[in-house]
Amino acid sequence: MGRQACSEAKNDLREHTGTGNDCKKVFEPMCPESNLEILMARYQQGDYAAVSDLIGRVSPQLHRFFLVQSASRADADDLLQETWLRIHKVRHTYRPGEAALPWFYAIARYVRVDHYRKSVRTAAGERELEAMSKGAVAVAGKFDHVESLDALLAPLPESQREVIEMLKVAGMSLEEVARATSSSVGSVKQKAHRAYAKLRETMTTRGKAEDYREG
Amino acid sequence: MKDEEIDDVLRQAGRTLPDPTPATLQSVADSIKTSLRPVRPLPPQWALTAGLLLICAAVSLAGAARAGFFGFEKMDILERLLVFSALVIFAWLAGAEFTHEMIPGSRRRLSPGALLGLASAALFAVFAFLFRDYQTHHFISVGIVCLVTGFIHAVPASLLAWLLLRRGFAVNSVAAGLVAGTLGGLAGVGVLELHCPNFEAAHVLVWHTAVVPLSAGAGALVAWAQRFRAGSSVRERANPE
Repeated sequence: MGRQACSEAKNDLREHTGTGNDCKKVFEPMCPESNLEILMARYQQGDYAAVSDLIGRVSPQLHRFFLVQSASRADADDLLQETWLRIHKVRHTYRPGEAALPWFYAIARYVRVDHYRKSVRTAAGERELEAMSKGAVAVAGKFDHVESLDALLAPLPESQREVIEMLKVAGMSLEEVARATSSSVGSVKQKAHRAYAKLRETMTTRGKAEDYREG
Repeated sequence: MKDEEIDDVLRQAGRTLPDPTPATLQSVADSIKTSLRPVRPLPPQWALTAGLLLICAAVSLAGAARAGFFGFEKMDILERLLVFSALVIFAWLAGAEFTHEMIPGSRRRLSPGALLGLASAALFAVFAFLFRDYQTHHFISVGIVCLVTGFIHAVPASLLAWLLLRRGFAVNSVAAGLVAGTLGGLAGVGVLELHCPNFEAAHVLVWHTAVVPLSAGAGALVAWAQRFRAGSSVRERANPE
C-alpha cells in the first residue's frame, strides 16, 4: 500500500469510526492491514459489501491456519464457516481503530479449540481424532517427498505450530500474535525460538538423509 | 541452516496450501447476509474498567454499611492509606484484565494466574507490614466467619462484573472466570477491611487474604463447569441414546 493510499485509508477510518487522530498511534505501524480495520468498522455499521470484501480477504488466511492445525480440507472448511458465524455474532466486540487481524485469529483459535474439545467428548469425535492422528503420522511420513506446510510443521507441538503459522505464513507481528493467542510477546518469542530450533534440527537431519541417499 | 532459509522454506510451503473454494466463501457470505444489521461497539476500555471498579466499591461499601465500619474506625491513617490503596490498585488491574479477557485479541499485560498471585502476595505483604499483633484467639472459628463473609460478598461482585461485560466474548472462559473471581475476592476483602475489627496478624494474613484465591478458584470452577455442561449437551445431541 502506497503512502497516499495509506493516508486515504486513515481518513476513511476516521470518517467511519469517528476516532479522529486517536487512530493514528494504533494505525501507523500496521498500515498495510489498515483496510481490514476500515472494513470491520463498516461491517459493524451493517455494510454487506464490506462483509463480502472481508470474507474474501481474511478467509484464505484463516483457512490456512485451520489446514496447518487440522490437516483435513473438509474440517478446515467447516471450521472456517463456524468461525465466520462466531465473528458475526460477536462483531460488536471489535474496537474500531484496533488491529483487526489478532481479533480474527483469537476467535478462529477459540473455534478450533472448542471444536477439538467437542470432538474429544463425543465417541464419534474420538474416532475422528484417531483418524486425524493417523493422518498426521501419515503426513509426517510423507515429509521426504512433499514440501507442504503441514508436513514441515508436523514435528512441532500445536502451540508452536500456530505461532509459526501466524508469524511466517500470515505475516503477523509478534505483538499481533501475542494478542491473538492471549499471551505475552516474550512467550511468543520463546515459542518461535523453540520451533525454529526444532525445525532446524529436522531439516538438517532430512538434508543429511537426502545426501546419504544421493551419494 | 540459517533462520532466513527456514523463513523461505516456510513461505514457499505456505503457498502450497489450498485456498477455500468460492462456493464456500459464498455460502459464508449468504449465511451472514440474512442477519446483517448495524451493531454498537463496546464502550471504551477505561469506561468498562471504571464500571468494574465502581461495582467493587459499591459492594464493599454496601456490605460494610450493613455490618458496620468497625475495622475502618479502628485503623490509623497509614493503615487506611496502605490497605485501601492496595485494594484499589489491584481492583483496577483485575478490572482491566477482566475487560481484556472479554474482548478477543486484546493486549495482555498480566496473565490471570499472575494477577491472582500478585494480588494475594501484595495483600499479604501489606497486612504483614501493618498488623503486628501476633496473639491468636479463636483462630479457626473467627477466621471461618470472616472467610465466609468475604466470600459471600465476592459472589455478587463477580456476578455484577460478569453482567456488566455480558456483551463481551470470553475466548477463554476459565481464565475470565478466574479474573472475575479475583475481582470479586478483592471486593470481599474490602468488606472485611471496612468491617472486621480483629487486627491479629495471623487472622488477617490467613483468613482475609484467603478470600481472594477462594473466590478466584470458585470463579474458574463455575466457568469450567459451564463449559463442561455445554460440551455435555453437545455430546448428548451427538449420541441421543
